[in-house]
Amino acid sequence: MFKISLNIIACFKWVVDHEDIKVNPETNELVLDRAGYRISDYDRFAIEEAVALSEQYGGSTTAVTVGFPAAKKSLKDALARGPEKAIFINDPAFANLEPSQTAAILAQSINNQEFDLIICGEGSGDLYAQQVGPRLAEHLNIPCASFVRKITIEGRELIAERRVDEGIEIISMPLPALVTVLPEINSPRVPGLKDTLAASKKPVVEITGSDLEETVPCLETVEIKATTMERNCEKFDANEDDLKRFVEVLLRAGVID
Amino acid sequence: MDFKLTEEQELIRANMREFCEKYVDPVAVEIDENSRYPAEIIAKLAEMDWMGMPYPQEYGGAGLNYLTYTMVIEELSRSCAATGFTLSCHIGLASGPIYNFGNEEQKQKYLTPLCQGEHIGAFALTEPGAGTDVGAGSTTAVLDGDEYILNGTKTFTSNGPVADTFVVFAITDKTQSAARGMSAFIVPKDAPGFKVGEHFYKMGIRASQTSEIILNDCRIPKENLLGKEGQGFRIAMQTLDNGRIGVAAQAIGIAQAALDESISYSKERIQFGKPISKNQAIQWMLADMATDIAAARFLTYNAAYLKDQGLPYTKDASMAKLFAAEMASRHASKAVQIHGGYGYIKGFKVERLMRDAKITEIYEGTSEAQRMVIAANLLR
Repeated sequence: MFKISLNIIACFKWVVDHEDIKVNPETNELVLDRAGYRISDYDRFAIEEAVALSEQYGGSTTAVTVGFPAAKKSLKDALARGPEKAIFINDPAFANLEPSQTAAILAQSINNQEFDLIICGEGSGDLYAQQVGPRLAEHLNIPCASFVRKITIEGRELIAERRVDEGIEIISMPLPALVTVLPEINSPRVPGLKDTLAASKKPVVEITGSDLEETVPCLETVEIKATTMERNCEKFDANEDDLKRFVEVLLRAGVID
Repeated sequence: MDFKLTEEQELIRANMREFCEKYVDPVAVEIDENSRYPAEIIAKLAEMDWMGMPYPQEYGGAGLNYLTYTMVIEELSRSCAATGFTLSCHIGLASGPIYNFGNEEQKQKYLTPLCQGEHIGAFALTEPGAGTDVGAGSTTAVLDGDEYILNGTKTFTSNGPVADTFVVFAITDKTQSAARGMSAFIVPKDAPGFKVGEHFYKMGIRASQTSEIILNDCRIPKENLLGKEGQGFRIAMQTLDNGRIGVAAQAIGIAQAALDESISYSKERIQFGKPISKNQAIQWMLADMATDIAAARFLTYNAAYLKDQGLPYTKDASMAKLFAAEMASRHASKAVQIHGGYGYIKGFKVERLMRDAKITEIYEGTSEAQRMVIAANLLR
């Protein structure tokens, strides 16, 4: 394998740990006050892929996150997973950004960095809007491939296997480029003890909101509620009456019309 | 006193949890069922630098303090107490005396491969006639030219069947009391006259390997004497002080797992039309568990903190081990009770936890021995 030295940026998001999310049974609202945070599971695949590619082809990986001050805790965790440095785009106002804002903020911060490839998770572990990757590519005017399950680099070309409805699509695009990756692309490494200890010594570049142009949300969040799944069990025989009743039940439930 | 975890400690603990979820949880039931040594987990622990955690980097360790090491053993034991103990035996009981009493040459030759996980360590003190009464040991070591010749049988040697490097205790001067006549030696498994004897199949921590060690005119170079002749009893006692913090951490891990399982099961198990967690009888058991776990944690972290500060901690390590072990046994049993009939069935984690908890009251000094140590400290 010849070395081509890739500068790779892996984007990640610090999200509420879904295992800690509780639901108020009366209001159906999410209870987050005792929830911890973690690197979004999908973004772990992005970080792993970036690190694995830079190990395979030579080069280095930078982990980038946009978040509020408490997300600082994520940096050592991310750096323990292999990137050489991190960029923390930090502002108290960045707690509840919508995808268009996150993409715009990332684009402003990444624009003056040298990079060959940007890797994002397919969606975030909280909103799963699947927008930040493609929007970021659009801002930076670079090609983008989503639903990627395998990446190969050949010279200045990136060959990506994409899982699409019809099967697997293989595409190529020139670098620099952006890909959003599926969980099946790799198995993220568990950081070793010395990786964790070394993470404290790796450089972190901090960018604050005041260094950037203001972004304006275009959505309004009215409320966030837990999904409910109601299950009913009814038994039917194969006689005429029960078949009629069966159809009535399906009509009533809106399954058929 | 403040045991608030640093950001780094939190991350180390979280990484051990991630390690457990990926490598330990999937096989924990099987290795218990088959009494199988999890060589693949130990190899991964070595690859990820966990095998020499509290020792300096110059010997291949990671230079963690003992408090952080304690938290890691607790976290690993929450998934599998047998694996937790295999590691704490390797680090605390086997590597510990070489680090604390070995000379530079011994550390380079024996401690470094232990810290790097290339070798596994064991501690051979107990004999068929010498358990709590350590001084009743009859294994002997006689200097013959440039070699010591060891004769005797050690029993219940944890890691015995899988270890490469043993710290063995033997009488070098029969005219003295055990406190002055016992010495410690580093014995490699390929020493002539060294043999692993009977393997023991245990009630709990079944994946941890335990055996007899037979020394039959076993010859080792005289430079393998650890410390000085006659220092063996002191080396053994100090090593057990360290080890007891590890056993306390193991017990806390078991109890925490018992609580985790109990909370989750009691919220799902419906009887009389409601989750059993709505019953005060269950709630009180959970509250007692959580309270005792918190108390055990403070005792144990305090002992580790004192050790890290270079302050006396013998009594505190015994208190931590005594309390943590007894509460782990008590609450693992309660966890089975909360699970009812299911808790008595193989494959339910609490069944394994109840068997695993019992040994923490026995090895590295029984609960009775801990009370002796604590009382002796109070009354001196």
